[in-house]
Amino acid sequence: MAKYSSQNPCTWCDGCGDYGIWTAVKRACVELELDPSEVLMCFDIGCHGNMSDKVGGCYRFHGLHGRVLPFAAGAKIANPKVNTIAFAGDGATFSEGMNHLVHAVRSNYPIVCLLHNNENYGLTTGQASAVTRQDIPMNSSPNGIPEATLNPMDLVFSLSPTFVARGTSCDIKQLTEIIKEGIQHDGFAYIDVLQSCPTYNKFMTDEFLREHCSSVGSDYDASDIELARKTAIDTEDKIATGVLYRAKNSRPSFVGRLKSREGKKSNLVEEVEKGDVGEFMEELV
Amino acid sequence: MSRVSVKIVGASGQGINSVGEIIAKALKRSGYFVFGYREYPSLIKGGHASYQLDISGNKVASSNKIVDAVVSLDHNGLSIHLDEIKDGGYLIHDMPEWNFGDSDKKKIEEKNIKVILLPTEEIIEELNAPYVVQNVLFTGLLWSAFNQDVSKLKEVVKERFASKPKLIDLNMDCIDKGYEFKSEEEIEIKLPDANKDCSDAMLITGNQAIGLGAVHAGVRMFASYPMTPASSILTYLAEIQNKTGMVIKQAEDEITASQMASASYFMGTRAMTGTSGGGFDLMTETLSMVGIIESPMVFVLAQRPGPATGMPTWTAQGDLLLAVHSGHGEFPRCVMSVSDAEDGFYLTAEAHNIAERFQIPVILLTDKHTAESLFTSEKFDQKSYKIDRGQLVDGKDLSELKAEDRFMITDDGVSPRWVPGQAAPGYNATSYENLPDGTVTEDSVPAKEMFDKRMRKMEALKNSLPEPELFGSDSPETLIIGWGSTKGVMSDVLSDLDNKKIGYLHYSYIWPLKTEKLLELSSKAKKVVIVEGNNQSQLGMLIKQETGLSIDSKILKYDGRPFFYEEILDKIS
Repeated sequence: MAKYSSQNPCTWCDGCGDYGIWTAVKRACVELELDPSEVLMCFDIGCHGNMSDKVGGCYRFHGLHGRVLPFAAGAKIANPKVNTIAFAGDGATFSEGMNHLVHAVRSNYPIVCLLHNNENYGLTTGQASAVTRQDIPMNSSPNGIPEATLNPMDLVFSLSPTFVARGTSCDIKQLTEIIKEGIQHDGFAYIDVLQSCPTYNKFMTDEFLREHCSSVGSDYDASDIELARKTAIDTEDKIATGVLYRAKNSRPSFVGRLKSREGKKSNLVEEVEKGDVGEFMEELV
Repeated sequence: MSRVSVKIVGASGQGINSVGEIIAKALKRSGYFVFGYREYPSLIKGGHASYQLDISGNKVASSNKIVDAVVSLDHNGLSIHLDEIKDGGYLIHDMPEWNFGDSDKKKIEEKNIKVILLPTEEIIEELNAPYVVQNVLFTGLLWSAFNQDVSKLKEVVKERFASKPKLIDLNMDCIDKGYEFKSEEEIEIKLPDANKDCSDAMLITGNQAIGLGAVHAGVRMFASYPMTPASSILTYLAEIQNKTGMVIKQAEDEITASQMASASYFMGTRAMTGTSGGGFDLMTETLSMVGIIESPMVFVLAQRPGPATGMPTWTAQGDLLLAVHSGHGEFPRCVMSVSDAEDGFYLTAEAHNIAERFQIPVILLTDKHTAESLFTSEKFDQKSYKIDRGQLVDGKDLSELKAEDRFMITDDGVSPRWVPGQAAPGYNATSYENLPDGTVTEDSVPAKEMFDKRMRKMEALKNSLPEPELFGSDSPETLIIGWGSTKGVMSDVLSDLDNKKIGYLHYSYIWPLKTEKLLELSSKAKKVVIVEGNNQSQLGMLIKQETGLSIDSKILKYDGRPFFYEEILDKIS
């Protein structure tokens, strides 16, 4: 893991779920034997985004609140050889970045979306996000939220995804395996990571996650979208984790569907040279 | 310059643009320079629109306000445009039952306007043709009024219908019917002498030229969201994508478009986005981000009148200060402005070199009048451009890099750049203030050092930019200053006036503002005038801010229309 380590000390609260995700991501890259120069980690703005300079070796980008998905997609389109992981939070993604999430699933960009889901805006000191539970007093909603709580899994499944998984920050081993599968998926890999936020989320603690989450197991059929959707959204008694859905004969990714790129052996980053426009000028004579 | 102007008018959807484009091409092939100008409302069917052609034996890049003939395909055109027809001019129409109102009758009489009726319904019935050929009949008639060889026109129409061969015979019949039509009053719109030199020139819109400039510059990714008058860059690049192999992405919004294109640039390809005012507003957080991550990017900002939705299909130069000041925080940027098709090609290509050389965002302004007008332009020179990727590191030098070289503090503010995927140490490109390797910092000394480093690029950039270009007199008594599409009308007027005392100083590179030539010329001039398509004289404000020079004589226009030829001629001669 030294290849991906940084000298900078972590700045998350003690017990923050980000530590577990941080470890799992680095471990996944190492176990897949990815060369750090072929990895781009893109971060949104939020507590999780403070990982950008706590990882080393690989290339990192730390952009704007809510915008990590279009940036990661644009990066991947330019150079599909680079393994691109977008780290996003529930605050930005399900509010300002909602538009991007919907179109990213629909576009099937071949990137990993690692969603740090701690059910609140941590970095701005604990306001409710769109996935915060009902009747929980938060910083800007002491009476609880008047809005309905969004079910992220239901939303994602409604968009015909090609890969959906759920992990937790307290099961690093399982999360590592999920991230590895996500990186290897040629399409949009949505990974919802339930993580503790010991400072602002008193409900979804590590103890809660350990008690309620259980892996779908080896006999689970991850290619059945109806079963997967049901398994994913029903969290009443038990929260299912693991790779919940992997499309069989998945439709090609956005990059694979570009007619203008058919038969091209090179990538956009290798093609910056003076373009001959003679043919197009002739058409205008 | 001797020029002839005709205006084809009618409802949107009646095919007035085809008449304009076909006649323009046939004229150009007959040795004429043509300038095509469209006016249309923001809707698809109905509403009143026009396509004006200004025709000359020499270069022409502006529109007359008063025209030699109006060809009206609907009844609205019969009264709306009477004031725009010159004395003794023509009004050509196809409404046999039409009764002109009293005031219109008076105008026609006073100005001796010749009203010509082309009985299209009768002809169409006789040909047993669908009504949509109405515009082709007018095309034939106009061509005979110009007294031009009909085979040249037919050649163009055949090319246009190449993909629909079944329609060619019918269209040829319609051309013949229109061309051979004899009205009671003879029509002759006498064209100036042709100049055979332009037969190999292109007829190209400003936006097509920007598209070709992008292809020439090696742009491999264009992400955009439709918005007039920038949309035709998107549609043109999409139309030729299977030949260029460029990735064209119509994004879900302008935020996405700018983020995706910026990301592609960040990865080491060349990319671009295009939009208009409201869309650019959405892109400005990305602009600011590009400023701090020190990645190259080119934003095309095609202006139309605002605020808000304003007049979407009309022209304006009201977003100059937006381009200069947009985006939160302070960061280096370059603002350039396109004024015609040639600029569209060469400046777009140059914008990418500047973006990469200084690792900054470049905003390339255009306006609807440049974006959508049809220019007669020599084929662009493809030899002179050289791609300059600035300090992009490649090859064996990569192995010597350290992560902290990426945002290394340098004298000119520009640091070595390498990109993800290259076998070199990874760094952090972050929107937070940072140390040279991208580690986030909030400490006062390194934060200021990094800020200063970035801002030093402005000085280096300014030193590298050319001074504005002077047209007309070398030492003008009257110095006129402008930018954008104003150049077309100014150069037409100056070449006709032959007045040795007037000079026009044109700004293509606007920010950072070059002031040496301006101050030298203005100190010697008796009068300084600024011409701008906005209300506040925004370039004038920048000039005052940068030099203290206050230009009180202003020719400003902000009604959605460009400066017409006679307007400028009247005001400066």
